[in-house]
Amino acid sequence: MSAAIDKGQTEELNLVTAINQTLRQELARDPQVRVMGYDIGPIGGVFRATDGLYDDFGDQQVIDTPLTENGLIGAAVGMAMRGERPVVEMQFLGFMYNAWGQFIYSLANLHQKTGGLVNVPVTIRTTFGGGIKPLPFHSESTEAYLMHTPGIRVVCPSTPYEAKGLLAAAIRCDDPVIFMEHTKLYRAFREPVPTADYTLPLDKCRLVKPGKELTLIAWGNMVHVSQQAVDELDYDVEIIDLRAIAPIDVEPLLDSVKKTGRCLIVHEARRTAGPGAELSALISEYAMEWLKAPIKRVTAFDVFFPDNQVEDVYLPGPDRVKAGIEAVMNYQF
Amino acid sequence: MGKKKWSEVRPSEDYRRILRPDGTLQGKAPKVSRKELLRWYQVFVETRTFEEIAVRLQRRGVLSVAAVSRGEEAVGLGAAAAMKAGDWCFPSYRQNSTLLYWNAPIDRAMAGLMGNSPEHIREHLPMTADQLPAVTFMPYAVFLGANIPLAVGSAMADKLAGRDSISLAFIGEGSTSEGDFHDGLSFAGVFDSPLVVIIQNNQWCISMPASKQTAAETFAQKAVAHGIPHERIDGNDVFTVYDTVKKAADRARKGQGATVIEAVTYRMLDHNTADSSAVYRTEDEAEYWQTLDPFDRFEKYLLAEKIIDHSTRGTLAAEAEIWLREAIDRGRAVPPTEPPAMFESHLHGEPGWSERHQRAELAAELAGQNPFVDYTGEGLQ
Repeated sequence: MSAAIDKGQTEELNLVTAINQTLRQELARDPQVRVMGYDIGPIGGVFRATDGLYDDFGDQQVIDTPLTENGLIGAAVGMAMRGERPVVEMQFLGFMYNAWGQFIYSLANLHQKTGGLVNVPVTIRTTFGGGIKPLPFHSESTEAYLMHTPGIRVVCPSTPYEAKGLLAAAIRCDDPVIFMEHTKLYRAFREPVPTADYTLPLDKCRLVKPGKELTLIAWGNMVHVSQQAVDELDYDVEIIDLRAIAPIDVEPLLDSVKKTGRCLIVHEARRTAGPGAELSALISEYAMEWLKAPIKRVTAFDVFFPDNQVEDVYLPGPDRVKAGIEAVMNYQF
Repeated sequence: MGKKKWSEVRPSEDYRRILRPDGTLQGKAPKVSRKELLRWYQVFVETRTFEEIAVRLQRRGVLSVAAVSRGEEAVGLGAAAAMKAGDWCFPSYRQNSTLLYWNAPIDRAMAGLMGNSPEHIREHLPMTADQLPAVTFMPYAVFLGANIPLAVGSAMADKLAGRDSISLAFIGEGSTSEGDFHDGLSFAGVFDSPLVVIIQNNQWCISMPASKQTAAETFAQKAVAHGIPHERIDGNDVFTVYDTVKKAADRARKGQGATVIEAVTYRMLDHNTADSSAVYRTEDEAEYWQTLDPFDRFEKYLLAEKIIDHSTRGTLAAEAEIWLREAIDRGRAVPPTEPPAMFESHLHGEPGWSERHQRAELAAELAGQNPFVDYTGEGLQ
């Protein structure tokens, strides 16, 4: 797990302004960084993540593209293999299904297919997650599809500070990185973020709060939902922000569970073959002897993201997390 | 210096047009009864009334988002009038005029816009089969291109069964950049599918101008490579839309295959209520498009032909306001969908272990019990 660095001079940013500042700094740092996508130019992104970049860096570095996700990823890979460093905005994770061909055949596979000769330093920023009651396929948490794909990194920041350091690292990384931005966190809160650029490791989880009785693993908005649940209960819970969704930073998770003897996994994704299934399997396989209770998964249900009226009940909230914690803590052999 | 914005190049008016913007004819009007023309006018009025109500409801927080078709209504209307009972329609979210022409249930639509599940809406707003529109409407695909291959398959099914029905799909000019559009047209060309694809080119794909979607001279010509006939028309002229779609539909019914029609029009308002087009497009083009307004020119024609008089619009709008309000109120009166509805309509047959278990978990949670205390897989006690 990584420790926080000295923050030096800071400013108060929310998650989307932290991302905007990072893109700005990376565009200035490296002229081969190309921000690409549709609705990223004059409009500045539908969530305003690219606000002002088109004005300041022009259409050679901030490239508005036709509406084709498959074309977008494929072209970004083609540019990357020729030395550019594309940062793609995939407006919603639910739009990326249309790019599955280029995602698998090119983005994920090209480096391996060429025996490591060709690098694919593409970052794909995509929004995910529910809670803002938009249209269908605008709330997906289907990171399990991504995790199942070799050859890519998947990271998910849960705070503005994390977002800035992880995005800079993702852009500078020579691997393809899927960077998951939770729409509900964009403007949820501000925190001090260093004004200077910095990176955070793409392959490390993050200790949010130490504890001795139960290991709770979450990411994205679920970190905050879980924190609220833990605050409302009287158990000594260790909260870990998974942060690196793929590859998973396994050892700290095992070490934590070996210390606490209990594990709860909280995610917004559906349960069956969701990320929790892999985490639970890893812990069962390698920390069985330390477990004092079954590993439980607090998740959404195995259904398509439901209509707006039902959205709040579908998503895990603090009450469901509290029930999960109680169920694990109260277990008796 | 202000921020950079797109300034759209005016599309060429070198397209098929029957009714000029001033309401006079430059070609032969299609054979349509005066009664039918009055019906078209009524749908125009209803569409504008309905969309004004929808936007007001969104502003008051009743709807989370609303998309309107102001300035584009003639495309959906002319196409609607060219369809026949038994046809299948694959709309996007800018064909309220098509839905209203075929008497699609506005109460159900409103309940859906409010975020209720389809099963729940059917239960609370029951309709008999003969009350349903005579044209079958598929739900729009949020991902607009996805409906094109679906419409092609639907058309292939009609052809295989020897029916003379057609499938008609709407797509925006932006979505013609998607692979789905070309995937569908590859099939439609090879199988001579009874299909009409209408590219509703409203110049804007959220913030992206049409010129950023393709370097082709027109969107219609994308059909050339698929061996499918195409036509580029004035989408703000309901006569041309009707006449062109009617001819395409007649060809399709006779087994002569698919047609692609680019209807050139303009999105007068924002993409939807979550958008603010002033951020990215200049206002100079709005004035030009106002002169091409589809409703104004049709109204002028009808006035000149004495099919309507100066009081007709007010009368129809007042009527529309009343019946639409009633329908909308019926939709709003539907009680909120209950959470277990989320499990419905995923698979046929008896639910498996996971669904049974998760339904029980949800029920426990809603009853204030702990849903996670099954430690054996035998169920919640």
